[in-house]
Amino acid sequence: MQSISSEQNLSAVGMAVEDTNKRFGEAGISAEVCQHRSGRKYSFVHINCPPNHWVSLAKWLRFEQGVDYLSMITGIHFPLEFEFFSGQPGYAPGTPEKGWEVIIHLTRKGIKNPKLGEQTVINASKLVGMDVPLEYQVSLVLPQTDEPKVPSVQSIWEGADWNEKETWDLVGIEFEGHDNMMRVLNPHDSPPGFHPLQKQYKIRYHNHNEMYDDAQGFMRKPLDSDKKK
Amino acid sequence: MAEMWITMGPQHPMTHGLWTLRVKVDGETVVDTVPELGYIHRGVEKICEARDFTQITPYCDRLCYASAMTWAQSYIYAAEDLLGAEVPERAEYIRLIAVEMQRVASHLMWLGAYCPDVGNLTVFVWCLRDRELFLDLLQELGGSRMHYNFPRVGGVKRDLPIGFAMRARAKIEMFRKRLQEYEMLLDESTIFLVRTQGVGACKAEEMINAGVTGPNIRAAGVNYDIRWAHPYSVYDQIDGLAAVEKVSSNEGSDCYDRYRVRMTEMIESCNMIISALDSIPGGAETHYNKKDEMIYLKPPIRAPAGQNGFHHFEDSRGESTFYLAGGGGKKGRGEFPYRMSIRSPMFITIPYVSKAMIGYKVADIPAIMGSFDPCIGETDR
Amino acid sequence: MAKDAKYDWLNVNKAIDSSATDIHSIAFNSIDVNAGTSFCAADGTIAANTFFFDTIPKCTGEVFEIVTTSVVAFTMCVVIFSIIMLSQFITVIWTERKLIARFMDRRGATTSMRSLWVGENGVTAGEWWTLLPFGLGAPVGWLVNTLNRFVGNKSDKATVSRVNNRSWHGIWFLFPGFFQGLGDGMKFLTKEHMVPNKADKLIYELAPFLIISSTVLILGFLPFGSGIYAADPEMSVLFAFAIFGIAPLGVFFAGWSSNNKYSLLGGIRSAAQLTAYEIPLLITILSVCVLSGSLNVIEIIDFQYGSGVWNFFLIPLGALLFLITMIAEVERIPFDMPEAEAELVEGWWTEYGGMRWGLLFASEYLRCYAACILMAHFFFGGYHAPFANFIGDFGSIGDAYLAIPGIVWVLLKAWFFFAIFVWVRAAFPRIRTDQILELGWKYLLPLSLINLAFAFILRLYVFDGNSWGPGSGLIVPAAITIISLILFVVLSVDEDPDWDGQRMNHTRTRTPAGTHTLGED
Repeated sequence: MQSISSEQNLSAVGMAVEDTNKRFGEAGISAEVCQHRSGRKYSFVHINCPPNHWVSLAKWLRFEQGVDYLSMITGIHFPLEFEFFSGQPGYAPGTPEKGWEVIIHLTRKGIKNPKLGEQTVINASKLVGMDVPLEYQVSLVLPQTDEPKVPSVQSIWEGADWNEKETWDLVGIEFEGHDNMMRVLNPHDSPPGFHPLQKQYKIRYHNHNEMYDDAQGFMRKPLDSDKKK
Repeated sequence: MAEMWITMGPQHPMTHGLWTLRVKVDGETVVDTVPELGYIHRGVEKICEARDFTQITPYCDRLCYASAMTWAQSYIYAAEDLLGAEVPERAEYIRLIAVEMQRVASHLMWLGAYCPDVGNLTVFVWCLRDRELFLDLLQELGGSRMHYNFPRVGGVKRDLPIGFAMRARAKIEMFRKRLQEYEMLLDESTIFLVRTQGVGACKAEEMINAGVTGPNIRAAGVNYDIRWAHPYSVYDQIDGLAAVEKVSSNEGSDCYDRYRVRMTEMIESCNMIISALDSIPGGAETHYNKKDEMIYLKPPIRAPAGQNGFHHFEDSRGESTFYLAGGGGKKGRGEFPYRMSIRSPMFITIPYVSKAMIGYKVADIPAIMGSFDPCIGETDR
Repeated sequence: MAKDAKYDWLNVNKAIDSSATDIHSIAFNSIDVNAGTSFCAADGTIAANTFFFDTIPKCTGEVFEIVTTSVVAFTMCVVIFSIIMLSQFITVIWTERKLIARFMDRRGATTSMRSLWVGENGVTAGEWWTLLPFGLGAPVGWLVNTLNRFVGNKSDKATVSRVNNRSWHGIWFLFPGFFQGLGDGMKFLTKEHMVPNKADKLIYELAPFLIISSTVLILGFLPFGSGIYAADPEMSVLFAFAIFGIAPLGVFFAGWSSNNKYSLLGGIRSAAQLTAYEIPLLITILSVCVLSGSLNVIEIIDFQYGSGVWNFFLIPLGALLFLITMIAEVERIPFDMPEAEAELVEGWWTEYGGMRWGLLFASEYLRCYAACILMAHFFFGGYHAPFANFIGDFGSIGDAYLAIPGIVWVLLKAWFFFAIFVWVRAAFPRIRTDQILELGWKYLLPLSLINLAFAFILRLYVFDGNSWGPGSGLIVPAAITIISLILFVVLSVDEDPDWDGQRMNHTRTRTPAGTHTLGED
């Protein structure tokens, strides 16, 4: 099928990056061209944004740049210390400046309501400018804190609604201004503060042997088995 | 009559999967809805933080069990983005064939589940019978009928079996004729038309804003398909079009449009499979061994912290996205992903549809919900 | 007319009547009234004699007569009931199962009675006979084990190969699959009967009785032959349909008293639907009665014989209306919204368990079956053979043809219509409740009134006391049939599926509040 060529993609991405940097450069928001390493290796726009400017960036993207679709909101927890196995030495995934990260994937799809009885006919090679579909990835970095907060874009994209609920439910990042926050994947009566994707909640089994052959851990060595007594 | 809340689910013949829809009705009219998901939340995202990149593939098969191949592929492309793996072209063709076959099988499953919702039980048996054709082909390719564990980071598990192309062509011919039979039964049935036309009107712009994609958008007259917009496999080298339906009313597309889109998509997927079989490099009749570099290139095993990858994929139900952040594992060396995030189209569509149902009758609830093709496995992950 | 085959030889009523009369006369007449008076000639004993040998025998005689009449009536009821039950469970449900399977292209192995006893290597799983009461278990167990020893499967390989061998239909004359319905019915006996916690207990228990008893009552008026009927009042049609109309009340009771929102919705939908379709149904039946000149089923059937033309060829529109309204009355697909499994689980049946549910399920099929039999009676000549006059003139073949008892014809016709019901069920989706009601009130009611007017015209102006029109009376019916056929073909040609114009009519509720702009439709 006829698809967007890489030149269209590159030029659209370049234009978007330029526009973003021009508009928001002083606010600490930086956009750059990133390239996928798989598939057709097309490029996308990656934006680093401080959390307090997220709403204005979102509004600009939605209304000026025509980014009409929010795909996914991901929350990641970077603690200062993380032990993969309890009691065993771990590593430090986070730094004092980077404790939490919220990544938002957006797409500009350029969809307009077609007229009654018609369908839009698109010749992909003829799309130019703002009509070229484009992928965005926005990254909000939060410092180490116990109560990560990020403003909500629920009113800007309706698709953000349940994405934000899920992110709060699983990761624990609060979205300020979000209406009707509730548990969506965990049971409704989960204890407050239970956000399983945070790194201090450990997975019970680490491999299939443990899960199937030794579910109760009789064969596991005690935690201090290699400690010299 | 006073308004009352009815709970549809979690055990309910209407719901395709395990979820609850609480509906507030005023007589027969729906006034408000509250969907409740999460009954089969298995914590896949957390589990995969302790799994190798090859070990994650079977988990992704089980996300949406009706359309397993597409979900595994979706993950594989994201993993290849994270690791920076190269994929040979023949492998891309094989993946395309597998994905399109899975799409046809998934849509047949949808039709087989949708028609009993509307009342017609005959089509259920017919669709499942024809799905067997494709399931047999997928079994030859992947090894099992439902969860194949077929694609690998860097290629595919094994090549097309001997005689696969011949059987695929024959079965697709047979299937095309059968599809005409279904269209005759349903499209010419006044009752089916009366049940699905004018019901569940949704406009394209609202749907996009709410995050609905895929055949649901294409039913609203908008030609948007990730396969041409952000091309990832060899879709630009084969013949095939995205199936689009014309808008039927000022209020948007109705259930009948969504049904027609999926029927047309099945035909188009068959065209794509035939076209891919015609133009696969190395020929459709040759069979390369496993780990041959025509079908598999060994990828890097680790992805250090700071690297990440994502991929938008056109699943049978919409756009599925995987985001992988590197640098996880026992000592942070990156043999496991640090975070895997899954975007399920149905997780976003079900709340939207619950709102779009307001104003219709209780009897329309299965018709509308079914026409959006929910699959709860991917919704709850 | 030709041969007066009005009363065929299989006249069960007469047989039972005459045997009862014989028994009565034997029993009564053998008591010699005068025997006693010859013994005692004394005056004082005359009163006693009169009492002993006059009054008592007379009273006994009257009582005996009452008893015999009621025994006759009861026997007829039992006969009819067993005819219906046997033909229903063995044929009707079997037809439904197998025909639907063929439509759905499901062939599959045929379950037969063999599955009750077959085991592997002499062992039947479950040993179900131990649950039988009254010590029946032991002999049944012995029988099962003997059968297993001689004709059971020898190993699991034999079982597997037999199951996978889809061409195995069993021995055809041993009724493959005929007893599955009975087996299912027996299963219902083993299920628990539950009453929901806050349900209205009296009404909850009462509702199945209403439905089932009203259904079974109708069966009393259906003749299976000129001499096989349980009751024949003057206006049996009126009575039958008065009873037929009690069932919606029972349905509503069931839905309301279950204390379950699904049941309530189902009950309300059902009440609305059944009420809406009673009216076209009754008007159509009225048109049949007008045409045939009587409100008695047997007279309607005999009228069709006498005038030489089945009612179907005179009011085909009426037959079609009857079919549609009856499908709606018995709540089958496409009109089964009250029990729509997709939304309501089982609708107003949801809370019933065990045999109550089984009987409600059976009553659905009973009503269906009664509807098919009525269709045969009203429009297709009941128990008279097709072309009876024509073939009957052919000498010995004609004699043999006419000697086929009427019950055979009734059952064949009823099963044919039931096959049409099943075909309709396999092909169509469900219509939504408000669309069903719209259909009933807006389309079927005017059509039934037109049909009634047409029937009036036919009866008053075309019927000349003997036949429909001049000569052999076949011109008018033939003309009507041909014109109706043409209309049917013309109207059923489908619209072009690629037609881009205005979508066809659909019914919608109020526009969703505030979400969409008002469109052109």
